[in-house]
Amino acid sequence: MKAGAVILSLVHNTVGIMTPFLLAATGGLYTELSGMLNISLEGLMLIGAFFGVVFAGLTGSLAAGLALGVLCSLLAALVFGLITLNLKANVFIAGLATNLLASGLTVVLAFQLFKNKGVVRFELGRLPSLSIPALNHVPLLADLLLGHNVLVYASWLIVLLSALVIYRTPFGLRLRGTGLNAQTIASLGLRPQGYQLAAILISGLTCGLAGAVLTLNLAAFVPNITSGRGWIALVAIYLGNKTPLGIVVASFVFGLAEAFSNYAQGAIKVPADFILAFPYAITVLAMVVYSIWRHHRARGR
Amino acid sequence: MKRWSRWGDLAAGAAGLAIALGLSFLIAVALIFLLSRSPLTTIRYFFVGPFTNKYYLGNMLNSAVPLILTGLGIAVAFKSSVFNLGGEGQVYSGALVTTVICLALPAANGYLGGAAALAGAVLTGAVLAGLSGFFKMKWGTDELISSFLISAAMGFVVNYFITGPLDDPANNLLASYAIGKQYFLSWLFPPSKLNSSAAIAVLAAAAVFFLMSYTHVGYEMRMCGLNREFSRYGGINVSAYVVLPMVLSGALHGLAGGLAILGTQHMAVKEFSFGMGWNGIAVSLIAKNHPLAVIPAAIFFAWLEAGAKAAMLHSDVTFELAAIVQAVIFYLVTAQAIYIRYRRRVKA
Repeated sequence: MKAGAVILSLVHNTVGIMTPFLLAATGGLYTELSGMLNISLEGLMLIGAFFGVVFAGLTGSLAAGLALGVLCSLLAALVFGLITLNLKANVFIAGLATNLLASGLTVVLAFQLFKNKGVVRFELGRLPSLSIPALNHVPLLADLLLGHNVLVYASWLIVLLSALVIYRTPFGLRLRGTGLNAQTIASLGLRPQGYQLAAILISGLTCGLAGAVLTLNLAAFVPNITSGRGWIALVAIYLGNKTPLGIVVASFVFGLAEAFSNYAQGAIKVPADFILAFPYAITVLAMVVYSIWRHHRARGR
Repeated sequence: MKRWSRWGDLAAGAAGLAIALGLSFLIAVALIFLLSRSPLTTIRYFFVGPFTNKYYLGNMLNSAVPLILTGLGIAVAFKSSVFNLGGEGQVYSGALVTTVICLALPAANGYLGGAAALAGAVLTGAVLAGLSGFFKMKWGTDELISSFLISAAMGFVVNYFITGPLDDPANNLLASYAIGKQYFLSWLFPPSKLNSSAAIAVLAAAAVFFLMSYTHVGYEMRMCGLNREFSRYGGINVSAYVVLPMVLSGALHGLAGGLAILGTQHMAVKEFSFGMGWNGIAVSLIAKNHPLAVIPAAIFFAWLEAGAKAAMLHSDVTFELAAIVQAVIFYLVTAQAIYIRYRRRVKA
């Protein structure tokens, strides 16, 4: 019974924890498919996290905070996109700059607005959670999938929608075409940069949501609150083999690793630093194992 | 004819760089006007502060030392088209290993023990980065992401040692015991912290320049960087040139960490090296991955940070302002369109 309850609550927490990974990775999937290595996910998330909670605090409305936070990370994505595509900057370095800008800007603004470079707390209501009384008695479903906040379910919708957009619309086809061979797209009279900019903006949108999920849940901002989640989302795209379903599975695995380290911090006598290192270590391991598997499969053919 | 176009390129590059840096300065000034209540004082400290006395000047040059080494580490990797994103962890781990070796040999000869401690740091960095290179060579694992992740995990492990087994309860810092006095590198410019590690950094830059430009190995590394497939047809063992640049890059990062302990810190303080790895990337980019240009680029970067520090101490802005200015410089330095326009104009 006890082990069962632990596993149930671990998986329940995982479903909540994986949301930022899932959102950021879904947006990153668009940029990845359009042929860009977008490392700015981390910075875009941080922007959404900061402005989301600050605007929610100022306006007193979670919805307004969410919308304005996402708008800010969209703006940051636009800057990143224009510099990369119009000024022809190296996408990798521009991404690094976006991350640096986000970490600097959020701390500078927190200092200017709240005279505080530590934890900034806000008086916010809780994010509304979804409850469907009719389903409350379905055994496993109710324990695992119900009772999360609405953004968790929104993230599932976004993944579903993305799968449709990427595989079932002309836009998605051309986006993937841009990644495979930009010249071909250009020879059809289309602008590959247009698709890449759209992809960057979509990643700004989902990363803004991903960041806002973090801070609105906590009703507080901590410098560098994203703490590498954007990077892990990037890895999730690779581990997920650049497909929406793969991303869901990979995000779940990372969510589980984090849920487990949260649990282990209370339950197991291991230094906290080792537990914090665990998600990164497991990710490297997963990457190496995956590439070994792929290597051998390619050889077998 | 050929020489002329080369000089033209150089002039265009310099003009483009000047434009990018000039724009960044304007943005920095605009930011200060927005954020500071006494903008003129802040601007003075931000730009001139590091030159106002021996202490600030020496410290500025000293904080360029690790940036020279990490910048060199990145330049070696980028020249070979290999990406090492794990600089942060490699510097930090190198620093830890140097500290541990010094603490384990409390009575050793300063030169021998110090050399052993630095060798440990170099080896640690080389192994951490080499691992990513090895995975890439063997199974095609993306070295960019694996090096970042290994480094991030190592950061926590080093934190554990510094605040756990090595923590000195006598000091109120999150820091290890101090290393023996015989290991301290000599001061060059008291009362500032500039020390003889600066000479080692300059020597390292010369050595990397020689290796890349005048040796067979360096030639093959650069060829692989230009076109790996072509190099393979030319008979170069390309898979070795995934691992070697990573190993060299990691070794230089480890050295940066080790020298920071022996020269400046004298103990491992929690997260003291934060930013050295990331900024090394910026330094190498400003230097266009040229080993000798890394030195002025590192000093330039150190100037920005020293300026932000001076402005923080004497005025009302916070240190993270430097990060924003650095981000703007990143953006503009890599924006090729600025250079291309100038190249055309110079050639015309």
